[in-house]
Amino acid sequence: MEKVWKYLKSMKFGLILLGLICAVSVIGSLIPQNAEPMTYVRAYPNHYGLIFSLQLDHVFTSWYFILLTVLLCLNLAMCSLVRFHGISHDDTEEIERATGVPSVEKTDPDTLDQIREYLRRKHCKETVKGNVSVYSKNSFGRNGTFLTHLGILLTVVFWSLAMYLPRIIDRTCMPGESIILDDGTKIAVSDFAITDAAGRLDYKSVINIILPDGRESGEREVSVNHPVSMGQYKVFQQTYGTRGAILVRDKEGHEDRFYVDTNDFLSKDGVNGVLYDNVYPDFTEENGEMSLVTSTSGRYENPVYVYIEVEEGKQKDVMLAFPGDKTEIGDLEFEFLKPVEYPGLRIKQSPKFINILLLLSFLVMTAGLYITFFMAPVIVTVDEEGYTVLGSKPEGMRYELKQIVRSRKENIHA
Amino acid sequence: MLDFLFFTGLALYFAAMVLTLVGMVFKKEKISSLGWYVFLAGAALETAYLVYRGIVAGRLPLSNQFEFAASFSWGIAVILIFLHYRFHLEWIESAGMMMNFLIISYAALQPREVTDLMPALRSAWFGFHIGSAAFSYASFMLAGAAGIRYLIAVKKDPEDERLEQMDYFIYRLIALGLLLLTVTILTGAIWAEEAWSSFWTWDPKEVWALITWILYAIYLHLRLGRKKTGTAMAWYAVIAVPVVLFTFIGVNTLLPGLHSYGALVRDILL
Repeated sequence: MEKVWKYLKSMKFGLILLGLICAVSVIGSLIPQNAEPMTYVRAYPNHYGLIFSLQLDHVFTSWYFILLTVLLCLNLAMCSLVRFHGISHDDTEEIERATGVPSVEKTDPDTLDQIREYLRRKHCKETVKGNVSVYSKNSFGRNGTFLTHLGILLTVVFWSLAMYLPRIIDRTCMPGESIILDDGTKIAVSDFAITDAAGRLDYKSVINIILPDGRESGEREVSVNHPVSMGQYKVFQQTYGTRGAILVRDKEGHEDRFYVDTNDFLSKDGVNGVLYDNVYPDFTEENGEMSLVTSTSGRYENPVYVYIEVEEGKQKDVMLAFPGDKTEIGDLEFEFLKPVEYPGLRIKQSPKFINILLLLSFLVMTAGLYITFFMAPVIVTVDEEGYTVLGSKPEGMRYELKQIVRSRKENIHA
Repeated sequence: MLDFLFFTGLALYFAAMVLTLVGMVFKKEKISSLGWYVFLAGAALETAYLVYRGIVAGRLPLSNQFEFAASFSWGIAVILIFLHYRFHLEWIESAGMMMNFLIISYAALQPREVTDLMPALRSAWFGFHIGSAAFSYASFMLAGAAGIRYLIAVKKDPEDERLEQMDYFIYRLIALGLLLLTVTILTGAIWAEEAWSSFWTWDPKEVWALITWILYAIYLHLRLGRKKTGTAMAWYAVIAVPVVLFTFIGVNTLLPGLHSYGALVRDILL
């Protein structure tokens, strides 16, 4: 059992896990993920069976990827524990021990003076005992690897929670209407536009979140990169669409506005009316022939409606109409209005503390890496004959001191 | 004017690379030194180009494949200049200039028109996320360059006294690159949560950034934990370079996802 624990906390095991996660990730990036089963049948007619059985269609939520992640967390937790002892470690003992270490790199007194001067310039703390000076700094640096491992562990844990705990609701909503969630929360959309004041593309909805207890966010603008938060909800500008709008009037002057989808049939008696097909953003005209434009940057510059007149249950010709056009069929008058853009909102319900903990984990991890790489603990002893750089970590210091010795030799030589 | 600055800078980088290589091969210090000054002139022009383009665009020049490649190459130049003046690392210059020329040549093949920033990129995180990525990749490329120099030097003379220094700087450049890549990934995650509602979407770019991160994390474990140094680690730094290039170029070209900003806004982003 002891051997198993030893292996689980070993660097070798950690590296194997990282290598496996890497390999699985490569596969996950090459094969499209979470697509419809038929996509794989069509794209890989000879291998789709293998893809499904090995869960390669959803690698990142497969049992083996989750297992690798859990094992990595275990390894990271144990690595952090192993390194934890350094956190309260005082360097006094080490400095004391260092005074007894004889110098390894022998050099002349003038060079040693330069080394002393250099170490002082580098803000090293000097402790003198007898004829030995111990220069030390960055004692906190020995916590770097602990903080790094802890930071990565916390990041993986809170990242997983932040990814899989929230409830995501995607809804579209016409301006002037509201989205009602199952707990009674209401998201009222009062306006939506796809361009800003300067005419640049920018997708902005004006919303008001009203919680079941009556608290509300007030009218706020939600756009890409600027979600609106209220309580446990965060509302994102996710997508948008454009729908045709038709105003229908009867002989008595009653009127109703309809936002229409393909194949909507607007009729009073069920046999006379308009069968809506689509609205196109623009058209081109050449030699008297008109072509409809199907894709644009998103703006509907010159919208064209396509619809079919239905009389006495019979479909007549396909007709075109522009905003403002009117047609009378049966007892009804149909007026084609300017198409209306509407937002698709993503509503995310999640406890806020997870995001805060995740951000803290990010900070711990980044700080840990910085301390590990750029604040390595330094202990250098200098006596009358030479100097010693203790430990393997301060490679930079060892390198710099060697440079001093080398350039001094070169100067003497010159 | 913009094109003039860019292509003159590119020509100067090419001339610098040739001069430095000639100086190195024929051991002519004066030619190498001239190569360095020509490189500085190229870097100055590239800096002027990026600043001018930034002013014209009204934002940081980091928004598409061309601008990123140009900034990436500029990042290599900046780190190379720092290494030259702070540590006097002349040995890295020839290989470093080749890496720099490779990236700026790739930039030259991309469309260069200045475009409006798309809504998803209008964020405070834009500069942090993409800027740190450019410098992170630059650092990894220079680690690869140092690896190449190490392998050449060790073949010529296994007792070369610069080997230790080369090995050390491969490690330092990778450490810097990993720290910056961590910043890239984490700021990207925070930004993704603001823009797409999720810290992580397993988008191919994210996955390959993670793969690159893991690859270099393994290097650092071997270097710091297992005390591996020398030829094997130099090979590691060199072999990792294509992975960095794939994360930058290959993913954007071959594996479309949320980071494919060349595609239609409506289809991809919204």
